[in-house]
Amino acid sequence: MKNLLLAFVSRFPRPDFESGYQYPEYTYAVPNEVLWDTLDVIMLLLLMGIVTWALYKKRTRQPIFWTSIVSIAYFGFFREGCVCSIGSIQNVAYAFVEDSYRLPIVVLLFFLIPIIFAYLFGRVFCAGVCPFGALQDLVNVKNYRLSRAVSGALSIIPWLYLIFALLYALTRTRFIICQFDPFIGIFRLGGDWGLIIFGAILLLMSVFTGRPFCRFLCPYGALLSIFSSVSIWKIRITQKPCITCELCHNSCPVDTIRAPYQHKVEESHRQGVMRVISYFVILPLLVVAGAALMYMGSENLSNAHREVRLYHMIMAHEADPDGELTLEAEAFYSQGRTIEDLTASYQQVQDDFKVYGTIAGALIGLVVGLKLINLSLKRTRKEYEISYGNCIACGKCFEYCPQNRKKLKIED
Amino acid sequence: MKNDNQISNSPIKRRDFFRRLGTVMAGGGILAVGGAAATKVKSEGTADLYWQIDHEKCTQCGRCETDCVMPVSAVRCFHANKVCGYCDLCGGYYRTNAKELNTAAENMICPTGAIQRKFVEEPYFEYTIDYDLCNGCGKCVKGCGSFGNGSLFLQVKQDLCLNCNECKISTVCVSGAISRVPYEQAYKMKDKA
Repeated sequence: MKNLLLAFVSRFPRPDFESGYQYPEYTYAVPNEVLWDTLDVIMLLLLMGIVTWALYKKRTRQPIFWTSIVSIAYFGFFREGCVCSIGSIQNVAYAFVEDSYRLPIVVLLFFLIPIIFAYLFGRVFCAGVCPFGALQDLVNVKNYRLSRAVSGALSIIPWLYLIFALLYALTRTRFIICQFDPFIGIFRLGGDWGLIIFGAILLLMSVFTGRPFCRFLCPYGALLSIFSSVSIWKIRITQKPCITCELCHNSCPVDTIRAPYQHKVEESHRQGVMRVISYFVILPLLVVAGAALMYMGSENLSNAHREVRLYHMIMAHEADPDGELTLEAEAFYSQGRTIEDLTASYQQVQDDFKVYGTIAGALIGLVVGLKLINLSLKRTRKEYEISYGNCIACGKCFEYCPQNRKKLKIED
Repeated sequence: MKNDNQISNSPIKRRDFFRRLGTVMAGGGILAVGGAAATKVKSEGTADLYWQIDHEKCTQCGRCETDCVMPVSAVRCFHANKVCGYCDLCGGYYRTNAKELNTAAENMICPTGAIQRKFVEEPYFEYTIDYDLCNGCGKCVKGCGSFGNGSLFLQVKQDLCLNCNECKISTVCVSGAISRVPYEQAYKMKDKA
């Protein structure tokens, strides 16, 4: 069939023109992205610089509000979202497995710069540079607080999302973060209707509770929270003594300011040791269980890969040659690929999924285990404290803290 | 065992120790991943990648027209003049069952009337594509491929393409014809090859 197709070309000879006809010269519209890419990185650094300055020097939210608007206008509506830091996770992972893929330097910078800032200053990127977070922040009117149980359970989703995104990128299957991006349709004013509705629902939710996407979905936020929880400099609500007035607690959109807490249950040394030992038993158990589950499910997971789907279609056709031929199967036969070739590549994908799926399962077990351990920890706090992993550095607490406002007035 | 002594004195110190350990590990992690990823950045040429259709694999299934994130797909039909036979009876211009060879819509293969032709000399006609009208359905490409030289082919028009991080058509393409290519090959052309 392939040979037949080749024979089609130059069925008619090239004409001999007698009238001096010249072949038209076409110039095709070239992509002119290099300039924009540079501007993107400059904008990223500039906006993150402004947010950091507002957080650490000015200690007000005002500049962060303006960077949010600039970010929505520039990164959101003007640049229409690609490539974003959230999606760049997949490009970086993909570059590690696929040699033919050249990781663009801009993508690497978009991946690394927010992480470096999170490591130094906290999640400055989330505050007002990420257009997704900024959009949710701007529509936020009222903060109804979700119960700890609900928000605790939902906060595992970003980790699962991150792990699955890495799994599907490393197995060269798909970029699921891009596939299920809820806001891109809104920024592009068009696209997949299901996702636009999903984005609209998220925005509607963020009117009543702060940043549902950032807290319960964003995989990059999960990654940043690792670095912001151990960041070198930390945001302080006020530099004066806390008067435990609870105002900052109520202002926080992501509910990450913890109230003072007196740990009343006295734990003996022996009990403490037993508790730690039980952690070290439960954690490996969960890791192994997760790895085993994902290893068993790896064949099902691999169905997302096009080669696996094609393999099943071809096998179904080989078993029943009279059945209807799908477009994919038709393309397969017309390309002249052999079934051995497809089987080899199918096997390769299966092996990839076994290896990476098992690792992903172990990570899922680890995440669930650490979440559970975290729930069981009770810490004594004398004043309101930020839990830095989840703090998105929006600076709203600055405005509410009476101690901080006092300081502002003195400066004026 | 040094940590054990600190427990009895002040738990803050132990917590502080773990926090510092975490900071150092996180810093090391950034350096390791960043450094490893930096080796994957290849400097030769420009590293920007663009989505392109491999016309040797393309089967004109019609999904380019329907699955692009753009309201009108960024895929267009391109014409390689140097491959074209300049025929009067063009398989990419007239329908196979055309009753009369004139420009009435029922005889044209292009549903949007994007293919225009100009008389050059007996018996040759020059065919051009109006990119404002073309929607990348690929019907003419199929016609030209089966009855002509195959000079028409589908390609991503770069000034229309949003260059999504993952091209939506590439995920539904029946033959895996859409892939990322470097800038130098931003247009895979038939007459260039």
